[in-house]
Formats: sequence, C-alpha cells, structure tokens
Amino acid sequence: MASKQKKMTPQQKKYQTLQQKHELKRPVLKNCIKAFLVGGLICMIGQAVSYFYIYYFNFTEQNVGNPTVATMVFFSMLLTGFGVYDHIGQFAGAGSAVPVTGFGNSVISAAIEHRTEGFVLGVGGNMFKLAGSVILFGVFSAFVVALIKTLLVMWGVL
Amino acid sequence: MKATYRWIIWMSLFFLAACTQNQPVKESQLALMKTTNPTPLTTERKKNRNRAEDIKKDVSSLPEVYDVAVIKGEKDTLVVYKVKHMQRFKMKTIEKNLNKKLEEKHPKENFTVSSDYKIFLEAVRLNEKIKSGSLSHSKAEKRLEEIVKMTEDMK
Repeated sequence: MASKQKKMTPQQKKYQTLQQKHELKRPVLKNCIKAFLVGGLICMIGQAVSYFYIYYFNFTEQNVGNPTVATMVFFSMLLTGFGVYDHIGQFAGAGSAVPVTGFGNSVISAAIEHRTEGFVLGVGGNMFKLAGSVILFGVFSAFVVALIKTLLVMWGVL
Repeated sequence: MKATYRWIIWMSLFFLAACTQNQPVKESQLALMKTTNPTPLTTERKKNRNRAEDIKKDVSSLPEVYDVAVIKGEKDTLVVYKVKHMQRFKMKTIEKNLNKKLEEKHPKENFTVSSDYKIFLEAVRLNEKIKSGSLSHSKAEKRLEEIVKMTEDMK
C-alpha cells in the first residue's frame, strides 16, 4: 500500500484527497444498533417458538433447539420466497445474516437465483453455494470440539 | 387506504384482547415467565406434606436458585428449580451441590433433581391437578413417574 502511494503522480494524490473529502462516511454505530435490534428481535421470536414447543409438545429445554432451528429456517425460507427477507437484510445487515435465519435465506436465495438452469444442475447444484461453507466449517469445528472433549474425558480432566 | 389498514389492525387487536376476558389464568400458563413458587405436595395416600416442605426450604436456601417445585411421590421425590440468570453458567455445579445437600439431609429419599423448564412446567401442571382434586392418587403417582422418566431420558 505504501509503495503504491509513493508511485502516485501529484495529480493522482490530489484526486485521492478530493475523493476522501467527498466520500460518504459509513454510519457504523447506526448500523450496529440496527443489527443489534433486528438480531435481538429474531432471537426473541426464536425464544417464543421454543417456548411454544415446550408448552404444547413433549420437548425439554435440552432438545427443543432442534425443532426451533428448523422452524426459524422455515420462516426465513418463506420470507425469502416472498421477497421480504431482502428488505430486512438491507435494513439490518449482519443482524439478519448471523442468526440461523440467515442460513435459510442464503440457501433459498441461491435456489431461486439458479432456478432457470433446471432442477438438477441449477437448483440442486447451486443451492448450497453460499451455505455450503457454513455446513463444512460447522461440521469440521464440531468434529474438532468433540475430539477435544472426548480426549479430555478420557484423561479425566472433565 | 392506510387508514383502513390501521383500522383493521386496531380492531383485530381489540377483538383478540377481548378473547382473554373472563378466563381464569392458570399459574402453569405463566410458569416459564414468572416466579410461581408452587406449594410442595405429595402424591402419597398418607399425606405427609411436612417432609416435602422441609425439602423445599432446603432447596430454596441455595442463593443461586429462585423458584422451587417439590412433589413427593411414593418412590421418587421430584425437585425442580429455576436458576438465576447469571448463575446459569454453573448449572452442573449447582445440581451437584444440591444433590449432595439433599442426600445428606434426607438420606432415605430417592431424589430426582432437574432445572429443565419443561420438567418445571409439568411439575406445576401436576401440582395444579392435584390441588384441584381432578387426579386420583394412583394417576398422580403415575404422572409423576412419567415426569421422572422424562428427566432420565435427558441424561
């Protein structure tokens, strides 16, 4: 970066200062607050869904996570299909991408995008284009953590 | 157009709110959200509530615990409690300490200890049914055994 700046002509430097002067500043704090509020709202809905399963079905606190995650992903898939999640994503940024609903959104948006290429090579081949890395690193990190826990239990640390 | 939508939303909220009128709110409906502190009960024919009350006092004396339900059956005694928010990181230690304390103080009892919300909810529901007299002793004992089995499945 420093070498690049050295090579710049005076005209380029002048342009860069002009550009920096007119560049729009990113509202980082505002974005953080938006992400916090919307992310919190999504988590609150998730909590309500898990209470629903505890109240009306035979799920305990330990295993209620599975149907809750499935339901939240299903909700986000519906919202993506109706085009609502795009607006939420634009407004909240990471607040809508970090919870598990962002995973559902990435799967379905890729499926919708490649629908025209057919079901097998289009939808089937590209559905996990974005979510694939989440699954890969999720499974791999779960394997590593389980391995560490097993070793610690074997050695009597835990 | 906007005014119509607003009117529909307000009217639907009004009618939905009306649905809750004159309906007795059971404690179990809010058991997950607020402190219910159900009275300790027993399913035994020979009712000996004193022991259940003693157990509840012992459990409540722990500073990390805030809502305790105790149901004493013929075979098992179910002890369910809620843990204070910031203490939830130490759930296993709390359960261990509680088990130790109960076994020391009541060596003859067979305890089933849990901090699971579902078990708490079921304990409050059973408590309500026993109090209202809608369950016979044998049915209450059977339901208690089912709840105890639910805790065993979690281990």
